[in-house]
Amino acid sequence: MDWEAEFRRLYEAHRHAVHAYFTGKTGDAQLSADLMQDVFLRVWQHLDKLTDMPDDGRRAWIFTVARNLSIDAGRHQRTLAGTEQALARERSGPAQPASVAVIEAERVAVVGEAIGRLPEQQRVALTMAAAGTMNSAEIGAALGVPAGTVRYWLSQARRTLAQALDLYDDKQEEES
Amino acid sequence: MSLDDHIAAWAATVRLADSDADAIFARIVASPVRSAEATPRLAASWWGEYNAGFAARMVASTRQARRAA
Repeated sequence: MDWEAEFRRLYEAHRHAVHAYFTGKTGDAQLSADLMQDVFLRVWQHLDKLTDMPDDGRRAWIFTVARNLSIDAGRHQRTLAGTEQALARERSGPAQPASVAVIEAERVAVVGEAIGRLPEQQRVALTMAAAGTMNSAEIGAALGVPAGTVRYWLSQARRTLAQALDLYDDKQEEES
Repeated sequence: MSLDDHIAAWAATVRLADSDADAIFARIVASPVRSAEATPRLAASWWGEYNAGFAARMVASTRQARRAA
C-alpha cells in the first residue's frame, strides 16, 4: 500500500475541519496549526488501523484525538489568551476614512470580535461551519452531538452576531 | 454585505493557508517510521478465539464445582 498517498487522502479530507475545530476552540491560528499537526501525526502513526475503518469511523477517531488534545491543561491556559488576541480584533478607532471598503472591513472585524465572545460550543460550531465548510450533520458527528443541537448553536450564534452588527451600525450613525 | 458574507470574510482570515498545510504534511511524512509497522501483534481473530475458549473453560469449571457441591 502507498501509505503516503493514503495519508494525503485523509489529510486533505479532514484538515480543514480539524483546523477549524481548533480555531474555534483556541482562537489562535498558530496554536491551531500546531494542534492540527499533532492530530495528523497520530493519524500517520496509526494509518494501518485507520485504513480498515469506514469513513465515519475515521472521522470519529480523528476528532476523538482532537478533543483529547484540546483539553490538555497546559494548552488550555494559552487558549484563553489566544482567543482574546486572535479572534477579538481590535478596531483602530473611529477616525478611519469612511470608504465603503473600510466600513466593510470594520464590520468583518466586528463579526470576528463577536465570534470571539460567543460561548465555546457556538464558537466551535460556527467556525467549523464557516472555516471548515461542514454541515450540521458533519459537525454533530465530529463533536458527538445531534445535528439539531448544532443547528440550534449556529442559530444562536448568528443571532448574537447580527445583534453585534446592529450595535456597531447604530454607533456609527450616532458618530456621523 | 450580508451577515453570511461577513462570516465568510472572517473565516477566510482564520483558514490555514495551503502553503502552511503543505509544510505540515511534509514534516509529518518525514517523521520516523510509523509505530504500527515496528510493533508485532496478534491478529484480532486470535484474540476472538482465545476469549471464546477462556469463557468456555470458565463455564465448564463452574459446572464441575456445582456438581461437587
